[in-house]
Amino acid sequence: MTDETHVLELLPAYALDSLDEVETRLVAEHLTGCYLCRTELRAYQEVTGQLALIAPEALPAPELGSRLQAKIQSLGSTRSRSTRQPLFRTFRPVGALIGLMLIIGLLASNILLWQRLNHLEVLTGPLGMRAIVLANTESSPQASGFVIVSSDGEDGVLVVDELPPLDADREYQLWLVRGDQNTSVAVFSVDESGYRGLRIEAPESLSTYSAVRVTVEPVGGSPEPMGEEVLHGSLFNP
Amino acid sequence: MKELKPDDASLIARIAQAQAEALNRLYDRYNRLVYSVALAIVGDRAVAEEVTLDVFVQVWQRAGTYRPEQAQVRTWLIAITRHHAIDILRMQKSRPEANAVIWNEDSVPDGQSAHGLEEGVQLSIQRERVRQMVAELPAEQREALVLAYFRGYTQSQIAEVLKQPLGTIKTRIRLAMQKLRKLLEED
Repeated sequence: MTDETHVLELLPAYALDSLDEVETRLVAEHLTGCYLCRTELRAYQEVTGQLALIAPEALPAPELGSRLQAKIQSLGSTRSRSTRQPLFRTFRPVGALIGLMLIIGLLASNILLWQRLNHLEVLTGPLGMRAIVLANTESSPQASGFVIVSSDGEDGVLVVDELPPLDADREYQLWLVRGDQNTSVAVFSVDESGYRGLRIEAPESLSTYSAVRVTVEPVGGSPEPMGEEVLHGSLFNP
Repeated sequence: MKELKPDDASLIARIAQAQAEALNRLYDRYNRLVYSVALAIVGDRAVAEEVTLDVFVQVWQRAGTYRPEQAQVRTWLIAITRHHAIDILRMQKSRPEANAVIWNEDSVPDGQSAHGLEEGVQLSIQRERVRQMVAELPAEQREALVLAYFRGYTQSQIAEVLKQPLGTIKTRIRLAMQKLRKLLEED
C-alpha cells in the first residue's frame, strides 16, 4: 500500500531490493521527482549498509590483495573519472593513435560539426568511425550529444554537453536499446557546464543495438528507464 | 610522528585521482567486510572472492561517482557488493540453501591485526551493536529480513519460501526496517 502521493511504505523493501518488478518501477519512477521519498530512502539505505555487519566474519585468501593490484595495473588509464578528461584517454581500447586522431578531428571540426548537427544524424569519421548525433527533448532543449562508434562496433564513446547538472539524488543513465529491451551501460553525472565524455562499455557489440537513450534516474541508476528522457538517437547505419 | 589515518571519503577522493595506494588502503580496511557479505550471499568462497575483487575494481573505476552526501563509503561499498553478489545468484538461478541460518552462525573475529587494532576494535564494537539491534527484532521479522538481505529474495519469494501470506511478509519487512532505522538513529 502506498500513500496517495508518496511511496513511503514501499521504501524499506525497495532499499532491500525485495520489491517485485512492478513495485520497483513504481518507486523508481516516483523517486525521480520526490525529494521527501529520496531522503527517506537514504535513511533505509544506511540501515542496509549496517546490516552487512551481521554477516558471519570471514577472511578472503591473502593473495586477493595482490590480484587486485595486478588487475588495477592492467586497467591502466582506462578507468573512468568524474572529471573531464581528454577524450583519447577514454577511447584507449581502439588505440591511442585512433583516439588521438579522433580528438584532433573533433577539435578541428568542432564548429563545423556543431553547425551540422541540426541537419545530419550520422557523420562518418576517420577509419570508418561513426558519430551519431543525439536529439534532445523538451525537458532538455539545450542539451546536445553524440555517440562515436568504432568501425567494428566494438568500442564507443558518449559525449554530452549542456545537460543540466542534477541534484544529489539523481544521475543520468545511458541505455542501449534492442527491440523493447533497454540495457544500462553507464550512470553518470555532468560537470558545471553540463559536459561529460565517457567510454561505452557495452556487453555486446554496439552494432547489435538499434538506439541509444539517456534518461534521468535516481542515483545509482534504475533497472529500467523510468525517468525523463533527455537525449536519444538511432544506432542504425543510414 | 604517527600518520593520521585518512577517512573513507578522503580515500575515495584519492582513488578518483587514480592513486592506487588509496585503493590499497581502502581494501585493507574493508576487504573482510565485503568478502563476508559476498560469502554470506553466494555461499561459495571462490565466487565470493571474485565478487570482492570486482567490487574493488568497480570502486577504482567509479570512485568519481561517489557522493559523500548520499551515503557513507561503507554503505556504498556494501550496496555494490550486495547488488553484484545477488546478480550472480540470480544468473546462476541457484541459491545457497534458502533457510541457511546466517543469523545464528557464530563468527570468529580473529585476525584483527589485518585491519589494524584500532579499526578492528571499532568494527567489532559496531558489529556487536548491530547484532544486538537485530536481536531485538521478533524472530519472524528477522527471518524475513535475512532472506531478503542475504538471499536476494523478493517479498513474494519470501512469502513462498515461508508459506506465509504476501501481506504478512511485507509487514514484517517494513516493521523490521523501521525498527532498525529507529534504533540506529537513537544509537
